[in-house]
Amino acid sequence: MKHLGEEQIVLHYYGDAEDNAAVAQHISECPACRREFERVQAMLRQIEPIEVPEPFAGFEEKTWLKLRDQLPEKRSWLGGWLRSPKQWALAGSMVALLFMAFVAGRYWPKQPTQNPSPLVAANSPSPNPNPPQQQIVLVAVGNHLERSEMLLVEIMNSDGKAPLNFSAEQERARDLLDANHLYRVSAQQAGDPKIAHLLDQLGRVLAEVANSPEKMSTRDLQDIRGTIESEGLLFKVRVVGSDVNSRVRRSEQSPAANVTQRL
Amino acid sequence: MEVTDAVVVAQVLSGDKEAFRLLVNRHSRSIFHVTYRMTGNQQDAEELVQETFLRAYKALARFELRSNFSTWLYRIAVNRTLDFLSMKKMQSKDTYQIVDEPDPEEGRQIQLSSDSPGPDRMVLSAEMKSKVAQSMSLLTPVERIAFTMRHMEGRSIDEIGETLKLNTSAAKNSIFRAVKKLRQQLEVYASHAQ
Repeated sequence: MKHLGEEQIVLHYYGDAEDNAAVAQHISECPACRREFERVQAMLRQIEPIEVPEPFAGFEEKTWLKLRDQLPEKRSWLGGWLRSPKQWALAGSMVALLFMAFVAGRYWPKQPTQNPSPLVAANSPSPNPNPPQQQIVLVAVGNHLERSEMLLVEIMNSDGKAPLNFSAEQERARDLLDANHLYRVSAQQAGDPKIAHLLDQLGRVLAEVANSPEKMSTRDLQDIRGTIESEGLLFKVRVVGSDVNSRVRRSEQSPAANVTQRL
Repeated sequence: MEVTDAVVVAQVLSGDKEAFRLLVNRHSRSIFHVTYRMTGNQQDAEELVQETFLRAYKALARFELRSNFSTWLYRIAVNRTLDFLSMKKMQSKDTYQIVDEPDPEEGRQIQLSSDSPGPDRMVLSAEMKSKVAQSMSLLTPVERIAFTMRHMEGRSIDEIGETLKLNTSAAKNSIFRAVKKLRQQLEVYASHAQ
């Protein structure tokens, strides 16, 4: 008789096994599996729900008072525009700038320049030099995207014949996932929604890989590949990674270059 | 009749910032319970309550008024806690200490017979709680949250998957991996406690 796997036994404890009735039947008939189930059961029964202490008196009110000052005003955007002459002035300036940019683009002599990725380099050049700590983070993001790209390529190119052992890839995905959270939060805080969005998409795929079963089925692999393909993730990671790296190189070669690295 | 959350949300979206206070009053305690269960630290849990409401306020326009506000808020809290635990883990990686397999000697020190009187069993229970807290810190943030949701809150696999943006098999596997790691740390205690 083939014994149950540890995963089936654990999931059966929670009633989440694929075929709970068959697992229960097996446990009732197989002494070895029954012993194993009883050990899991005994251990899990010892883990009681964490006792949550009551927060201090007036917690709700103090939470609100601390929060209130941080909340931005919410206005209907149309009402805001109509009420504020400053916004009208700003809108006028933006239209004038757009017109000037259009004219300049139309008549400016063309130069052979390398276009940066729209995902990264939508930020216009700024006269501010690059702070060193931002440069370091940017280098780290470049490395992170490179490592992620290698992982995605391996997933896309694996032979796909079951049973698939992805434990090494899962371990790498877990490491990348931790770093990904950190960089995504940094990008959000630095006001770079495009990189933050890419890292958000990447994070979801990494989480899926990291949390898939060690012995992945062909279906699981297809699901992950489908997500990567449908979001064009590999392409985006390549483009953004390449842009980030070339910006780092440019910045290293010419420190005086006025290139803004957000992040 | 009590004003529903959806009505309050609409009021905030129309520009009445003060109306958000009602949502904070209604939900901050339950969100504190969630963040505390997942972090095990009162101060972190309180800060995460703040951050959850701040994030909810900023994303309020994306809330669908037909949905359940407390479920939406719960998901924000869980994901904010996940970010927090991931960052904390990253930051402490250099000083991270791996806890070895449980020391059998240590286990024997608290070994009690099953008919031990109350106070002894209370000591054992306290030991177990401390060991559980220590073992939980060895889980990855996703494993920790998925396990807490399934084991402590009784949430379904589907809810866990939707909240953490995982497919069903990934959600199940996170729970399994969490239990496997906890077994390695706790089984010796569990057998003594029986």
